[in-house]
Amino acid sequence: MNLTFHNKTITGILTVLPSKEVKFEDEMESYNFSVAKSLKLKMAMGYSKHRIVEDGVTISDLCVFGLNNLFENELLRKEDMDALILVTQSPEYFMPPTSNVIQGKLGLKQDMICMDINQGCAGYEIGLFQAFMLLDQDEINKVVLVNADILSKKVSKRDRNSNPLIGDGASVTIVEKSKKPNTIFANIKMDGTAFDALIIPAGGFKTPSTPETAAMIEDAAGNFRSLDNLVMKGDDVFNFVQREVPPMIEDLLSRAGINKQSVDYFMFHQPNKFMLNKLADKLEIPHEKMPSNIVENFGNASGVSIPTAITYNLGERLISESYLICLAGFGVGLTWASILLEVGQLKFNTIINY
Amino acid sequence: MENILTDLAEIMEVEKVAESDKLTEFDCWDSLTALSIIAFADENYKVTLSNKELLEVETIGGLIELIKTKKG
Repeated sequence: MNLTFHNKTITGILTVLPSKEVKFEDEMESYNFSVAKSLKLKMAMGYSKHRIVEDGVTISDLCVFGLNNLFENELLRKEDMDALILVTQSPEYFMPPTSNVIQGKLGLKQDMICMDINQGCAGYEIGLFQAFMLLDQDEINKVVLVNADILSKKVSKRDRNSNPLIGDGASVTIVEKSKKPNTIFANIKMDGTAFDALIIPAGGFKTPSTPETAAMIEDAAGNFRSLDNLVMKGDDVFNFVQREVPPMIEDLLSRAGINKQSVDYFMFHQPNKFMLNKLADKLEIPHEKMPSNIVENFGNASGVSIPTAITYNLGERLISESYLICLAGFGVGLTWASILLEVGQLKFNTIINY
Repeated sequence: MENILTDLAEIMEVEKVAESDKLTEFDCWDSLTALSIIAFADENYKVTLSNKELLEVETIGGLIELIKTKKG
């Protein structure tokens, strides 16, 4: 599905990462794998270290910390927040929405919209779409998009498919009406027949958590996980991404009338280095235009991975400069989406540690 | 490319490899090993290999030839 938005812009990005850093080597022993094979996995996928929250820390802690940082540095005013969109798959409760919890903790005004969206790997794109749509309202001038996940809590330490790459974190993106007229091109597709390609099978209403769902079971590849844990069909996800993402990007750029060389950066979701390099090769994009260094440094925190890639790789440069950036997210759902937009002259673009 | 035999030995989880060794006959041969060779060629020689090409070259020597040819 093709989408077009007008006169919207990002004015600031903040990434909040937990301070706790875990090295791949320190967790290797938990995998049912020889050291040689584990090191091969590390090399092939570009694993090194990842950021994980301490026990007891939840997403509202990361979000409140990030937003307070912006209030204290006078980069955002509470009274200007007309909407708070939280994209997460690690909500604090089934009900109420965690965005309301954050609103209450921060003492934000009542005259606003709080909204949780259940999305993951494409959660940055979905969140931006929602922000752009809300900004069409006369009384909504500033939307705060928060992406946050702490899925490390749901990943088995003995699952070498998912544990080495998972990361925790949160990001805050300010979205506003643009003073300069612009057109933002985007597209999105979904395939719910593959809903179980990335799934936490138990813990919802369909299969509540019980002592049985917590039992650790060995899979065919020697990974141990329970039904309460996140499980990913890695091969299927890899093939889906290589099949669907390149044509999606080609379509987006051709509809926008932009050739690949004119795009300054391709800021894609960060599943692992190998997958991103394959995507860049397939799209014939130089690797330096498609950063793939987030998993090795911080881990993949789902919808937070794109803002992390932008803040880590472009930082201060986006305060003085402006770049044409192509965003793409792909994964859980299945969902895949991309956006082409100019990003620059930001008020802030930085990473802070929680 | 002088270290390539040592590097490939490490990937193949053996002390030494010979050019005549068949890729699929190594004890450790599996999808991760194939992936490791692809990542190794990409990282060290900026060469993109496909799974299909790996199976076609058959031997360590053939693999080295392929990397050399693609590297140009």
